[in-house]
Amino acid sequence: MNTLLQREGLHASSNPLGMEGIEFIEYATTKPQALGQVLEAMGFHPVARHRSREVLLYRQGDINVIVNAHAPETAGLEGADPSPVIAALALRVRDAAGAYRQVLERGAWAVPTQVAVMELNIPAIHGVGSSRIYFVDRYKEFSIYDVDFVPIPGVDPRPPALGGLHFFGAVQYIGVDRYDDWIEFYAELFGFATLPDEQRFGILPKGHVLRSPCGSFYLQLIEPEPGQLDIDGSEYFSRIGLGTPDVAASVAALRARGVAFSELPATAPGPRGALTLSQLGSVSFELVHNARA
Amino acid sequence: MSQFTGTIDDFGMDTISLAGTLPAKLQAVRSAGFSQIMLSARDLVGHPEGVDAAVQAVRDSGLRVTGFQVLRDFEGLSGQLRDYKIDVAKSMLALCAAVGARVLLVCSSTSTHASSDLDDIARDLRRLAMLAVPQGIKVAFEALSWGRTINEFPQAWDVVCRADAPNLGLGLDSFHTFAMNTPLDELDMIDPQKIFLVQLADFMWNEIRSVEERIDTARHFRVFPGEGVHSQQAADMVLRLDRIGYRGDYSFEVFNDDYQQMPLGRVADRAYRSALWLGETVLKRSVPLPGKMRLKAMG
Repeated sequence: MNTLLQREGLHASSNPLGMEGIEFIEYATTKPQALGQVLEAMGFHPVARHRSREVLLYRQGDINVIVNAHAPETAGLEGADPSPVIAALALRVRDAAGAYRQVLERGAWAVPTQVAVMELNIPAIHGVGSSRIYFVDRYKEFSIYDVDFVPIPGVDPRPPALGGLHFFGAVQYIGVDRYDDWIEFYAELFGFATLPDEQRFGILPKGHVLRSPCGSFYLQLIEPEPGQLDIDGSEYFSRIGLGTPDVAASVAALRARGVAFSELPATAPGPRGALTLSQLGSVSFELVHNARA
Repeated sequence: MSQFTGTIDDFGMDTISLAGTLPAKLQAVRSAGFSQIMLSARDLVGHPEGVDAAVQAVRDSGLRVTGFQVLRDFEGLSGQLRDYKIDVAKSMLALCAAVGARVLLVCSSTSTHASSDLDDIARDLRRLAMLAVPQGIKVAFEALSWGRTINEFPQAWDVVCRADAPNLGLGLDSFHTFAMNTPLDELDMIDPQKIFLVQLADFMWNEIRSVEERIDTARHFRVFPGEGVHSQQAADMVLRLDRIGYRGDYSFEVFNDDYQQMPLGRVADRAYRSALWLGETVLKRSVPLPGKMRLKAMG
């Protein structure tokens, strides 16, 4: 009995929000068309447009990428560095309102939503840097895009993924001595678990890797290298990782579409993964060998 | 014009010791030879040109911000009072981040509305710590000597351990320690990595007879270390902290009505003498030690 209870407790707490992967990744940019070209080279297709904002939905397979060029969100991006930023991750959860309440209770910082502009009130909390984490529970019978977006006419709304690409994870750069803080944050609020150091994916085995409680994606936390200057201590999502069953085939297919890869000895394409060269000053993708979560 | 401060770089002043405007305080502290300053939320929100101007003044001063104070009566609450305090905490954290402070000081609650249950207190502090993670802020929890449940640092250490959050640690204050006659041996029980701030102050009398007198002394009659009657204890405390491996900052938290009536430069000079006494005479630092340079340790 006792053991049963303990097992049940363990099970309940291992995925406290009923997380089931990522619904979308959002970029904020003042250059939506340029970013759109980068995404299209990576195999994404624009499939829908937001009803009231300058926001586009790109998709391949089950990866949704939102490009947000709506003025309030991009206000801080103009000026010296107009590079796109990863502005949000949206988590699929069993019950968005319940998940939201639960994380607030544990110390998440609520971000006020703009219901007047956004048709759907998607609850959000502060994530790393200026980013947000959304909670979405409408991803089965109908989706958030059915409400807020208008399909682009004549376009396949469900374009297949290029060579089996799927969402694998995100890389988060953090300040010096910040591993413990962020590991605790993701564990406490969402139930992420830290992988042992010997368990790594891809070609950049740095930092710490956290597995989502649903087991379907990963966050990689990377502190500055010792000796590396970290003047402003800024923290942000640096790039997303795309899983592929065959890295070499994906690299060849993407090269044919004009995507360039890092050829530096440490990051050159190999069987474990590859890294695209940064575009628009900040946008790169990491390919990671992964059959399918 | 910068003075040689190699032996006292980890000592700083607190704006509450000085009268006048924020720019005048920053100037006085810098001119006296300090490289860091402890700020209060009041310094920013009370600036005649607003918070942004205050933040800019701090950044322009070149002084490092030791920490930011103070969140009071936060833990152990429930219902609307608790929600209200969460809002206050968020405001403090936002200001703290804006001014580049990495440590927020939280004083133990004096509220009769607050729970005395240590696990309730720990849960709230853990929640506060999580709230502070995205901002990159550490929370230093300090035992106020007239706190309702937590009034000595060993109790504060207990709830910090119960809360078990990486960015939640201890704020030590010599005044409260001396006022409660807390044995300094207790410092040996504390992980030095979890001491996020040490505030130093002395006072002029040996005995404090009541809680009222303790509050009164704390708010009006503190002096810089070495100026009061607990010099030996102050020296002992700093030496013990050094011995257990504490390498963080020391801030002079000296509330004193007389200092509020003295030219800022004179007060800052007194603080500087106190820092020199601690750095050179007590800790016997004669040259800047390579280990004191603020470089990131490897590994």
